[in-house]
Amino acid sequence: MYFPSSRPWADGETLSEHLERRGVSRRDFLKFCGEMTAVLGLSSAMTPKVAAALAAMKRPSVIWLQLQECTGCVESVLRTGNPSIGDLVLDVISLDYQHTIMAAAGHQAENALQQAMKDNKGEYLLLVTGSIPLNDDGIYLTIGGRTAKEILVDAAKGAKAVIAVGACAHWGSVQAARPNPTGAVGVSEVVTDKPVVNIAGCPPISDVVTATIVHYLTFGNIPELDYDGRPRFAYSSRIHDQCPRRANFDAGQFVEEFDDEAARKGYCLYQVGCKGPATFSPCPIFLWNSGTSWPIGAGHPCIGCTERHFWDTMSPFYKRMPDVAGFGIESKVDLIGAALAAGAVAGVAAHATATGVHQIRERRRERELPIVNQPPSGKKE
Amino acid sequence: MTALERPPRAPRMHLGSEAQPPTGKYQWIYLWELPIRVMHWTAAVAIVVLATTGLYIGKPFFMTGGEASSHYLMGWVRFLHFSAAAVLVTTGIVRVYWLFAGNRFERLAALFPIRPRDWANMVKQVKYYLMIKPGDAPQYLGHNPLQQLSYTGIYALTAVMVVTGFAMYGQSNPDGMFYRLFQWLVPLLGGIQIVRFIHHVSTWIFLIFIPIHVYLAMRGDVMERSGTISSIISGGRFVRSDVKYVDE
Repeated sequence: MYFPSSRPWADGETLSEHLERRGVSRRDFLKFCGEMTAVLGLSSAMTPKVAAALAAMKRPSVIWLQLQECTGCVESVLRTGNPSIGDLVLDVISLDYQHTIMAAAGHQAENALQQAMKDNKGEYLLLVTGSIPLNDDGIYLTIGGRTAKEILVDAAKGAKAVIAVGACAHWGSVQAARPNPTGAVGVSEVVTDKPVVNIAGCPPISDVVTATIVHYLTFGNIPELDYDGRPRFAYSSRIHDQCPRRANFDAGQFVEEFDDEAARKGYCLYQVGCKGPATFSPCPIFLWNSGTSWPIGAGHPCIGCTERHFWDTMSPFYKRMPDVAGFGIESKVDLIGAALAAGAVAGVAAHATATGVHQIRERRRERELPIVNQPPSGKKE
Repeated sequence: MTALERPPRAPRMHLGSEAQPPTGKYQWIYLWELPIRVMHWTAAVAIVVLATTGLYIGKPFFMTGGEASSHYLMGWVRFLHFSAAAVLVTTGIVRVYWLFAGNRFERLAALFPIRPRDWANMVKQVKYYLMIKPGDAPQYLGHNPLQQLSYTGIYALTAVMVVTGFAMYGQSNPDGMFYRLFQWLVPLLGGIQIVRFIHHVSTWIFLIFIPIHVYLAMRGDVMERSGTISSIISGGRFVRSDVKYVDE
């Protein structure tokens, strides 16, 4: 366990020197490097390279902007119960500007931001949590008299890389759910001239943030991204395909209600709305709260928080399918579908009956009329 | 007094034992070539399997007990679903090829009722089915405009099913071919749950189509002695020589 110290990482000091000063053994440091190499999906032969790069690293400048958000991501990333070296790396490198944890306030804090941007122009990493409200000229979020958009565009200009942490910075999260009154958008919709790494999740797993930074510090570039800008080392597999309850899914064993026998036996949560089959995330592997548990492990279905627009498309969270908009909350697709299919069968039966009735009526009318042009019955030509 | 003097409209027919046996001159006309017939029945079986297994995957209506390791119910259902999907896609490929290689009743042009005449006849066909003007149905050798529209709609729906199905299927392996080929659809439609929803709803459209389709085919045989059902088995049907068909 390594706690934050009042002695910051000094300029000119390498990471290995700093960690040594903080009482971290070389052995623990190499263990951390090995973990990070594994998380990034690299060969274990790369561990020495990662270790060498990190050990020789001078304190990088990181600016952490918090925009329209709940601070949950910062809590998730920085305040774990048992801070690891990874947390420490995050802690020590995010000193330039992070308005939740920094000591300065008001004009002092603003000056720190401006100073850091000026001193490390083109060199600093920009981490962003929170979305950017664009409606009504962005008046829904201002810091120091400037709108979120102005702050972000200004900060992104001099940044070497931009990392959007959490669902808000990814695409807007809950404030961007329909009807999105503030016009909240993610970082990648404002910063379009450089690649943005999206660390998806509400909140994301801190290991993914750390590993992305380690990748950047080791190789000097951002990791490979998927179609939605998420690092592939973490978001290339569905929860469903890594789930410890997958055997129950394949066997056809499902929880139907949260307090039923199947729930107690730990069966698959598919029927109570688990969005694991629709969600790319490393939760089953990395786990949460220092590797203690994760939602499905605790008996709760996945809500799909690493996917874009999950508040709209993954809800209702406890149902398999999205609701039909405008049909009212009681409507269900299967109910409508079954009713229409039954209606088709009933309609067909009614039509057949009507045809028969029509035939009988025609026949009666024909009996009264002289039969014209009707060849005699049974006669073949 | 021969049948040839009769006006060119379908004669009144009676149901069951009172039905008049067909009289007059008939000729056999070949409509649906072998690939189309094989495609029709293979696709029919595949669609029934897909709808049944698909509804189970959407809502698993029965379950197993005991140890997970001793069952593979959902696994087998999904295997059947994906296998039947592969069969359906194969029939689709045959159908697309036959849009260009087939006869004039099977070609691409036969799929679309685009001439003004077709639309007028479609109204007549609807009136015929609604028994507003039962004697006035336009006579076609191949598909009438209403059939063209509904079958083309079913082809389009099948395409939607295949594309949305592959988009979901591909997600199990993001390094695979299906992910690369169909993943574009997911952000386009606004997320995989929307894709899933469309796939699910389309199943019900098939389940609504099937009874209507079967009924109208049988009704055609019973009411008009059109030989419709025979034509999708043997390939052809007997048509009256004295009736002027719209698509002769």
